[in-house]
Amino acid sequence: MLKPGDQAPAFDMPCSVDGAAGRVSLGGLRTEMVVVFFYPRDFSFICPTEVIGFHKHREDFAAAAASIVGISVDDVESHRRWAQELGGVSYPLAADAKGEVARLYGVFDDKEQVAMRATFILNRRRMISYAVASQINVGRSVSETLRVVKALRSGQPCPADWQPGDATGPAGLKY
Amino acid sequence: MAVIRPEEKRRLFERLANIREIVFGVQDGVLTTAGVLAGLSGAVSGRSQVVLAALASTAAGALSMGAGAYLGTHAENSVIRSERERTRVESAQQMYVIQESLLGELAKEGLSREASYRVVKLLSNAPQALFATAEQKIYGLAEEGAGNPIRDGLLMGVAFLIGALVPLGPFMLFNSIRNGLIAGIAATAIVLFTVGYFIEGRLCELRRPWTAGARFLAIALSAAAIGYLIGLAIAPLGTPLG
Repeated sequence: MLKPGDQAPAFDMPCSVDGAAGRVSLGGLRTEMVVVFFYPRDFSFICPTEVIGFHKHREDFAAAAASIVGISVDDVESHRRWAQELGGVSYPLAADAKGEVARLYGVFDDKEQVAMRATFILNRRRMISYAVASQINVGRSVSETLRVVKALRSGQPCPADWQPGDATGPAGLKY
Repeated sequence: MAVIRPEEKRRLFERLANIREIVFGVQDGVLTTAGVLAGLSGAVSGRSQVVLAALASTAAGALSMGAGAYLGTHAENSVIRSERERTRVESAQQMYVIQESLLGELAKEGLSREASYRVVKLLSNAPQALFATAEQKIYGLAEEGAGNPIRDGLLMGVAFLIGALVPLGPFMLFNSIRNGLIAGIAATAIVLFTVGYFIEGRLCELRRPWTAGARFLAIALSAAAIGYLIGLAIAPLGTPLG
């Protein structure tokens, strides 16, 4: 799995966005930050809470200058129907049918043949600033991802449980 | 093609589930009693003594086997019921785990992932239906445990009694111990072969049902022969000390 400081591998994949088929590429995303989250499969009972969660917070992420891309091994039609089932998803759900992108990020589960539940936050130079993965049956926290995006954008040392508006650490402090 | 009647099929499967008790009881009744007859025929000179001992052994065996089957099924039901209740409480707290597992099982059986999802979602509207289906699909549990303890106990005991009559009946028809024993052993072999032939060979529609009969006979007689040999081996231990 890639770690903070690594260059994020580029991707260009078919996707479903706002109920239509399209393409999404890392190079085509112009926001300061990019949240790339991998999830195992469409039509599951854990993933929807995350997919919906990111959709519900889409304006908060946009306000934090972050785009969101969801990636799984399902095809575009599955993504489209899944997004429809969930009431619509406004950010791209990319079809990594052979798991190639998941492999590049080091989050492909060979046994299950699906992507692990992993989240990466990329900075403006598309280097990885944050990487987290969890066991396949444990959902992640969307609000925590948003908090980390905001903390990274602050450019300051942020103590544990830091929230926007809280004091940051002394400028220039490295660790 | 005959119309399938699900209720009749259900009753048939319930009856077939008791074949284990019937086969086990008959086989044990036949072999135990044949063994008693063979053993006592060599050791005791009076025919009536042999018959009385075999009858006592049959009564004890039938009661013991029946009680064993009753207790076994009762214990199995209790343990499974308790574990099932505990699992249901855990499942209710982590519904998504059960949903995800059931979805996987349905997908394995050929449903598309999307169709499996929709089936599980529908079932989730009635948690009892979801849990019952999950228990069958994920854990392989039958509806209400292993069986009926009273029915299993009675079947096992009666099957043992019937099995015991196989060598004992012909034995009692002859005044000579030797002739009675030969008739009893012959009847034992015939019945063991027949049980295998019909239950496994014919009911399961095997191409060569006689092989099922022969296998049944061979396994049963091998067990008896090994038991006899062990008896011979330990016989010297019964010599009075001193």
